Amino acid sequence: MPPPDAPALPAAAAAQVLPLPADWQCLEFISDLHLQADAPHTAQAWLDYLTQTRADAVFMLGDLFEVWIGDDVLDDPQSFEAQCCARMHAIAAHRALFFMQGNRDFLTGAKFAERSGCTWLPDPTCFEFAGQRYLLSHGDALCLDDTDYQRFRALARTAAWQQAFLQQPLETRRAQARGMREQSSSHQRTALVYAELDSQASLDWLQAARATTLIHGHTHRPADHELAPGMRRIVLSDWDLDATPPRAEVLRLTRAQGLQRLRWPDAA
Amino acid sequence: MSNPQVELHIAGQGVITIELDAEKAPKSTENFLAYVNNGHYNNTIFHRVIPGFMIQGGGFEPGMKQKDTLAPIENEAKNGLKNTKYTLAMARTSDPHSASSQFFINVADNGFLNHTAPSAQGWGYAVFGKVVKGEEIVDAIKGVKTGRKGFHDDVPVADVVIEKAVAL
Repeated sequence: MPPPDAPALPAAAAAQVLPLPADWQCLEFISDLHLQADAPHTAQAWLDYLTQTRADAVFMLGDLFEVWIGDDVLDDPQSFEAQCCARMHAIAAHRALFFMQGNRDFLTGAKFAERSGCTWLPDPTCFEFAGQRYLLSHGDALCLDDTDYQRFRALARTAAWQQAFLQQPLETRRAQARGMREQSSSHQRTALVYAELDSQASLDWLQAARATTLIHGHTHRPADHELAPGMRRIVLSDWDLDATPPRAEVLRLTRAQGLQRLRWPDAA
Repeated sequence: MSNPQVELHIAGQGVITIELDAEKAPKSTENFLAYVNNGHYNNTIFHRVIPGFMIQGGGFEPGMKQKDTLAPIENEAKNGLKNTKYTLAMARTSDPHSASSQFFINVADNGFLNHTAPSAQGWGYAVFGKVVKGEEIVDAIKGVKTGRKGFHDDVPVADVVIEKAVAL
């Protein structure tokens, strides 16, 4: 139950409906890759996946990048981000790539969209496929327990906040971003345990969108949750090819087989 | 043999006494005591506080200065102990066996953090102790005003400092 002073959820009824070409047979979903220059194995696996997948479309549902400090990182063609975008752009020429922001890469902007060739996905987005309606979200907006974060999230999505943030010199923003990374030599990730998505709010969003399945990431706790009879919440895994065992998972949706979780590279 | 106890002396607040479960979580207990005894937790902060969920500390000095840690330890979450209110658990990255110095105190029953399977998704968070005195201090900490510091969310605006951690 959200506390009384919790900020209002984004209006679930306003979930944008994404029309899909009728001939699409296979959609795939990934999230939480946390791509960064210091994790080349994960980046390579992601590129291999995008190159080799036979899906009609790949939906990237947030935290694709570990951090995004501003589109001006793309001004240097040698930057990690610029190289990622160039690779996506080449792939987007023959496969639909969809990008939704997460809580780490919410500062991606128009220059990123253009350079990557990705189609922008608002959070949440609804689509219909094989007679069922699905709702896509990164998931952070539904962790209502975290009232402080929800307050920040609402603020950080405003043009005023973003302009003020992006006005800081690039090096200042880089230093801040460096400060958030674990210094431990064994791993670059942060030791965060995420609050769970609010079940009632998730159901409210599904009902408002007239959808039966919510697909999201963010918590890094892959699982299928039944919210109510016929209504479910499917959580994507994060990717980390430096972990033991390595984690890389794709959620595939086909007309023939419905939803399947597949480990990469088994999913090839 | 009774379970070891540790006092966390919280600046301006008092003492939280924790009882460690050496029988069900021997590795986590030994690991935690190593950090207590080498002074690692002295002058660290609860750097992440989410009311209704948990308070997390053990990794940062005031000013969000990260401390070096010892090697990560095995995840003991399948010991049967549950993430109920006032239990102490090891924080970690998404890697099941990545816990080192950071820990959290559950301020609600967080069943979704319990072990369900020895897989990357099912490992859960290892509970290795519980608060036996000073629950009211835990309650006070969970209510502090928090905000974003740099790229960290849910950081107490006024530092909540563990002045020292002492093994009894």
